[in-house]
Formats: sequence, C-alpha cells, structure tokens
Amino acid sequence: MQSQSTPSKRWRTRRELNAIILVALSWYPVAVSAAAGDPSASMFSFSGFGTLGVVHSSDHDADFTSTIFKPSGAGYSHDWSPDVDSLIGAQVIANFTPRLSAMLQVISQQNYDNSYTPHVEWANLKYEFTPDASIRVGRTVLASFLYSDTRDLGYANPWVRPPVEVYSLVPIDSSDGIDASYRWHLGDFVQTFVGTYGATTSKQPTGGNADARRQWNISDTLEYGAATLRIAYQRANLTLDGLDTFFSAFGHFGAQGMALEAKYDPYRKPLEFLGIGALYNQPNWFATGEWGTQQLHSVLGESTAWYVSGGYRLAKFTPYVTYGALKANSNTYDPGLTASALPPYLAGAAMGLNAGLNAILGSIPVQRTTSAGVRWDFIKNVDLKLQYDRTRLGEGSPGLLTNLQPGFQPGGTVNLISVAIDFVW
Amino acid sequence: MTRINRLPSPALITLALGLVLGVAVRADVVAVVSSKNPLTSLSKSQVADIFLGKTVRFPDGTLAVPIDQEEGSVARAEFYATFAGKSAAQIKSHWTKIIFTGRGQPPTAVSDSAEVKHLIASNPQAISYMERSAVDSSVKVLNQP
Repeated sequence: MQSQSTPSKRWRTRRELNAIILVALSWYPVAVSAAAGDPSASMFSFSGFGTLGVVHSSDHDADFTSTIFKPSGAGYSHDWSPDVDSLIGAQVIANFTPRLSAMLQVISQQNYDNSYTPHVEWANLKYEFTPDASIRVGRTVLASFLYSDTRDLGYANPWVRPPVEVYSLVPIDSSDGIDASYRWHLGDFVQTFVGTYGATTSKQPTGGNADARRQWNISDTLEYGAATLRIAYQRANLTLDGLDTFFSAFGHFGAQGMALEAKYDPYRKPLEFLGIGALYNQPNWFATGEWGTQQLHSVLGESTAWYVSGGYRLAKFTPYVTYGALKANSNTYDPGLTASALPPYLAGAAMGLNAGLNAILGSIPVQRTTSAGVRWDFIKNVDLKLQYDRTRLGEGSPGLLTNLQPGFQPGGTVNLISVAIDFVW
Repeated sequence: MTRINRLPSPALITLALGLVLGVAVRADVVAVVSSKNPLTSLSKSQVADIFLGKTVRFPDGTLAVPIDQEEGSVARAEFYATFAGKSAAQIKSHWTKIIFTGRGQPPTAVSDSAEVKHLIASNPQAISYMERSAVDSSVKVLNQP
C-alpha cells in the first residue's frame, strides 16, 4: 500500500538517449586533472560516483526499500537485495565561460519499473553573477533536508543511507524550473539562501503519475566554524492520478461521498513541508540531527519525523549510531460512508469503499529505528560501510515497508543488515 | 656470540628507520601568498575556508585564488590536517558533495612546491601552501594570529 501512496521521481525524457551516451563517455578514461594547472584547461570536467550494496531483512513478508520510489527490495523479493542502495552515476560539467556553465548528471539505479535505465538527475545551465550569486535553469534536486541533494552520494555521507524516517517524508525530490542562490559573509558566519521554483512529473512504482505543480522551496543555511544550521520550507500542488478511480467512486454516494472525495482524493492538493537540520562536524567526531513535518491535505495525511546521529573518527574507521522516528499526525481511520443509511444494494459497495479508504489511511507509516554502523575508508576514494538497523513498526502500521504479503504482520520489529562499498572518481 | 646477539634485528632497524622517516614526513607546512600581496596574516580557519570553497575572497574583499597540491602529497595531507582538521578522505567527501550538486569545483592542484611558486609568481591573487623549507623570497608566509 505504501508504494501506491507515494510517487516516483523516475520520469522519462528524450534526454535519456543523451544520458546513455554520456555514461558511455564518462567511462572512457579522460585525463582532466592532468591539465588542471593550466588556465586554458579542458572546458569539460567528467566525474562519477557509485555504490555497490546489499541489504538483508528479517521480514520475508514485505520489502525494505531505501526510498519510496523503488518497487522492490530486501525481505520478500530478495534475501540479500542489491537494489536498495546500488547505483552508478556520471557527470559532465561544461564551463563555457567563467560565469556560464552547464551540468548534466545521469544515474543508473533501480527505477520505479525495476529497470536500471539511466535517468537524468541533474541537467541545468548556471550563470554566476558573482562567485556568491547564481541562477540555474533546468533540473535540480531539491534540498529539502541537509543530505537530500547528496543522498545518492554514498561516499559523501556518514551512513549507508540517510535515515529513512526523515528522508521518506517529502514525496517530491526534484524540480524542473529555476533556482537562485545567494551567499554572504557576516564576520565568521556564512549564510546561503536558495530559492527554487518549478514542477515535476514522476512515475509511481504501482503505475500512474505524480504531478507536482507550482512547486517552490526556500532554504537558508548558516555556517559558523564546525556548525551548520539549516531551515527549509517547501510548497507544491500535488496530484496522484493512481487513486483517481477509487475516489471518484465515492462521488456516487451523494453529499457525504462527495465530501469524502474532496477531502481525501490527492488531486491538486497542497503539499507543505518544513524542515530544520543541524550538523556539528569536529575533526574527530560529528553530531547531526534533523526534524521535519509534512502536510499533504489528502489521504496521504500529515507526518512528522526526526533523527539524531553521531560518529567518532578513529583513523580510517568512523563508527556511528543513529536514532530516527516517524509518526502520523493525521487520522489513520475514518468512519467513511454511513452504510446503514443506504439501501441494501448500495451498502455493500459503501462498506468496500470504506475498507479501501481505511486500508490507505492505516498504511500511513509509523516507525522508529535504532542503527549502528561503521565506515571504513580503506583505500583512496573508496569506503566500505557495515550497518545494522532495528526498526519497530508503529501499532498496526507497515512502516515504510512495501510489497506487503498476506502473511505480513504490521506493528512488528524488523532487523536489517547492510553492506555497501562507495566510490568516487 | 653475545655481541652478535645484541645487534638489533633487521625488523628493529626497519622500525627505527620508519620512525625517523615518520617524523621527517610530518613536514611543517605554511600558508603562502605572493610577495606582492599586502596580506600578512590570516587565521587557519580563514585559510581553510578559501580552500574548502566557503569563500572566494580575502578579508579585504579582493579575489582569492587557491592553489592546491596534488592528492596524496605529504604537504597536502599536512595542510588539511593542520588548517582544517580534516583527513584526505574528509576533504574528498567535502568536494564530492559540492561537485555532484553543481555548486563548484575544487581548487586547481599542482604537483609540487616549485610549481606552486611558479603559479604564485604569475598571480598576485593566489594563495597556497608548502613546506617551510621550500619557502623563498618569491612568496610570503602568512602568519596565523
């Protein structure tokens, strides 16, 4: 049910052909850094990153996935799933002039349809008015949280993956439009303001589209020495057409049915999000935490999530622990249509619709996870991570699990073991 | 016989040599600018901010052009450990975030201190670092207040 209620970012464009060519190009050894000392160095810079990971889940009646955009994962579909974290990305940046540049990044990872066809993650033109002020036109990844726009860069993150409780909160992570960034210095403080306006159409694992329109996001980041503080606000109009037929059936049940349809159908419904994050990064240790709340005025409900995490660096090893929680603020049950007030031939249908509505409301994820892991920087530009997660699902909730099978018991405890190798080049 | 037995084993010699070399590779690295640059001092964190892309200017507002030494060099490892408190892997991770979100590119990197001096000679806005022993009159060592 979870995967039905959340959209996928994987949408196909004609750019995909170009993307495939670019992936091929980036594999070709390109001596870019050799010319780095030369101001007339190559206009293009190529780079890439990737993760090879496997995940095991103790619950074989449901799948654990790293994001809400994936169709399958560890548990039911695979004993050890490579699909959860594995990916490979390649990027080219073209510096046309010192002020005008273009960026194209493609990633191959498990898509909504279980393929690994590369998709365009970033594609934009950037113009820098000054080194501290720029605008970008094209596709950018939304920075809803501290690690949102780097969540696929395993090498840049302390964990195997950012805590899923918080990072599953916002069902939109991309924007096709315009963004502006301005950074200024106040003494030892560095402040960066970013505003984004755009739209996204994405495909859901279970079919149908998610359309985010008039989507805007503003964030402000304050850095002072080892400390980073960040606040972000996001708003969009969201439509999930996969649930259209179901909710339009309510419309046949008079005023009460139409009211239920209007309340719950995710059709052009405002999505609002507020997030606050902090990071304290000392040479030998780090502590980070984030809190976010999301309101989607529809059957998808309102949720709040937070996590705290910390790690200690011992030479090439960085052990860490994390605690994350996700809860529903909205109702997870609705009495629905009053079946007793209906003629018998309609009462059965009404009860069926009520059951469907409550199945969706009841699947709003509630869970808490305690994690422990270690990162080992064992060779240059490559790390190995081992992570253990113990997730307690909320009472009656499937949590963030998908592909729920008949034997699945909501409200239980799930143990995960993840191993990942991250690399950059 | 006794005397021979008292000779240090090859393993011990290697260890001792390693310790000596270990001390030797912990070079004293200093931040330098062109001798034409009026700047005389810059705090460690101000130097680190320029190399980490957090600022592109010297405190007086003029543009700063950082010149790095190559990944894997002793001077580079020592510089980032001393000025930013970060390991090579942490620096790589820092730039990974910036590069793959299109927010910037790391400083130009050159192969050694001679190359650094060569570039600084032709660019008064440049800032770099090198072993104290490599410093000559073409560059000015920045004091840390």
